[in-house]
Amino acid sequence: MTTVIDPVIVAKDLHKKYDEITAVNGISFEVRAGEVFGMLGPNGAGKTTTVEILEGMRDADSGEAIINGINVKDDPRAIKAMIGVQLQQNAFFDNLKLSEIVDLYAKLYLAKVDPVEILSRVGLDKRKNSKYAELSGGQKQRLSIAVALVNDPVVLFLDEPTTGLDPQARRQVWALIRKIQANGSTIMLTTHYMEEAEELCDRIAVVENGEIIVLDTPDALIDQLLETGFKPEKRIRGATLDDVFLNLTGHDLRDS
Amino acid sequence: MSIYLALTVASLKMYFRNKQALFWALFFPLLIMIIFGIMNFDKFNSPNVGVYDAANNQASAALIQALKGNGEQKLLSVSVDELEAVHYELEFGSSRAVIEIPANYGIPGEFAEIKVTYDERFQQERAVVSTILGQVTDAVFKEAAQVPTEYRVENAIGISESVIEGQGQGFKAWLIPGIAAMAIMQTGLFTVVFTLVRFKSQGVLRRLKATPIGASHFLAGQLTTKAIIVVLQTYVLVIVGAIVLGVSVGNGRLGAWFDLTILALLGGALFIALGLAVSGWAKNEETAAPIANIITMPMMFLSGVFFPLSVMPDWLTRWSQFLPLTYLADGMRAITVEGASIATLGTELLGLGIWIVIAFVIATKMFRWE
Repeated sequence: MTTVIDPVIVAKDLHKKYDEITAVNGISFEVRAGEVFGMLGPNGAGKTTTVEILEGMRDADSGEAIINGINVKDDPRAIKAMIGVQLQQNAFFDNLKLSEIVDLYAKLYLAKVDPVEILSRVGLDKRKNSKYAELSGGQKQRLSIAVALVNDPVVLFLDEPTTGLDPQARRQVWALIRKIQANGSTIMLTTHYMEEAEELCDRIAVVENGEIIVLDTPDALIDQLLETGFKPEKRIRGATLDDVFLNLTGHDLRDS
Repeated sequence: MSIYLALTVASLKMYFRNKQALFWALFFPLLIMIIFGIMNFDKFNSPNVGVYDAANNQASAALIQALKGNGEQKLLSVSVDELEAVHYELEFGSSRAVIEIPANYGIPGEFAEIKVTYDERFQQERAVVSTILGQVTDAVFKEAAQVPTEYRVENAIGISESVIEGQGQGFKAWLIPGIAAMAIMQTGLFTVVFTLVRFKSQGVLRRLKATPIGASHFLAGQLTTKAIIVVLQTYVLVIVGAIVLGVSVGNGRLGAWFDLTILALLGGALFIALGLAVSGWAKNEETAAPIANIITMPMMFLSGVFFPLSVMPDWLTRWSQFLPLTYLADGMRAITVEGASIATLGTELLGLGIWIVIAFVIATKMFRWE
């Protein structure tokens, strides 16, 4: 792996406009090596645009994006070669087997990997001969993360990794993200699920209308809220309907 | 290089796994070929006749005009050319008769003998040409008879007939290269448009854009794959067509296959590039399909795939001779039907070359990843 420079991601006053709409309006933050950094916000808040600027997929109108010491604008290809990306809407060639897809992408990054080993990291090694089109939503998302790992990236970008997944599949993806972090990877993810951010992220930035309105650890943010005298409307019952559903349908992998 | 190879191998795998696409790429052109071959449209065309005009005077021009028929009714499809050229056309089946107008035609007091040569294998056409020629010369004679005596042109017209056995193989042999050329157009344009537009709308291309490879790698892989497919398809169509319709290819010249490969690759490159341009422009399959059809449909009928260009009005062929498919079909036909070598196809190669440059310029301007 490339030597990791801390902080891995530096975003300085990023701006991006599409015609009349301001998508990103002065976003700055840093992501430290080894942390899971979450960007939260409703749809259209500017999360994806910010991430795509960092990934070298889009040019910012102004501001700087630096990944591992390299300015994205100067060498987008070098950036793409060392990061791992899972895009919000991405798909893979539907007539290829999973092992062939991983193998192809590894070759695009000039990386030498064992496709089956990569698939086993996301629990898809048994499905190595399946076609992409045959996978469930959760499995597609896990394949997408597997493909993002082929180049042993210095930072992994996950754009809404669990949107549209059922509770079991979501929990599987969470477990996978935690496992990747435990191996020392740095992860930046976007989500609009608060419990996901609370579950996974070391620090979160809440984005609204293209601006970061707050940036801290989840615990600190909750504490700050409680200090204002905030009381949740419902009595805490110690379990949620989510727990009920999972208890009824089972936590186990459902890879049928 | 290894990236390029990986992408090419992957897209070849994808294509050959798509059994339905494979079936239609071969089945449809073969079906058309066999149906048209069986119907034998030779009968419905006015026969092609080559005329050598040694007289080149007012009288001979009037005779040629009379053979063509007046504006309402077309009698014969006449092309005037050098003696050698018109006999070559008869020999290799693109015409059915040669009419030689002697140098003394229309000169007062001289006996002008018009020589006609037929391909003896086409008796029906022979009868048609013979009847029309008889009637036309008769009419010329009668017209002359009505002229007042002092202006009367004293001449006589005779017709002598001979036959040869040409090597041409008629409409069936003529049809195969045209259909193969059409299939190159269809495969080149449609497979590129549909795979790329689907990849684009699904987000496959977006994901590729997030990798360090350039657009050129991916496009080069696509081009290579489709070029291989186009060549294989041409072989299959020409071979199966030749067997089913019982005709020979390139008069048995083995080099014809090499020449066909070159032409198939040129035609493939041209239509693949057009496909890239369309898929760059179109956002989804719904918009891509009509555009691809607008490009291909007119060419199917205006480029001499099903019927010779000679059956169409002159104002139309004046333009349609410049269509990319016309160059491709004409070139492939010259190789398979007349046994010509690619080195003699200057016009076709130049035409294809210019179109390839145009198509690639448009494609590079239009292509988008999302």
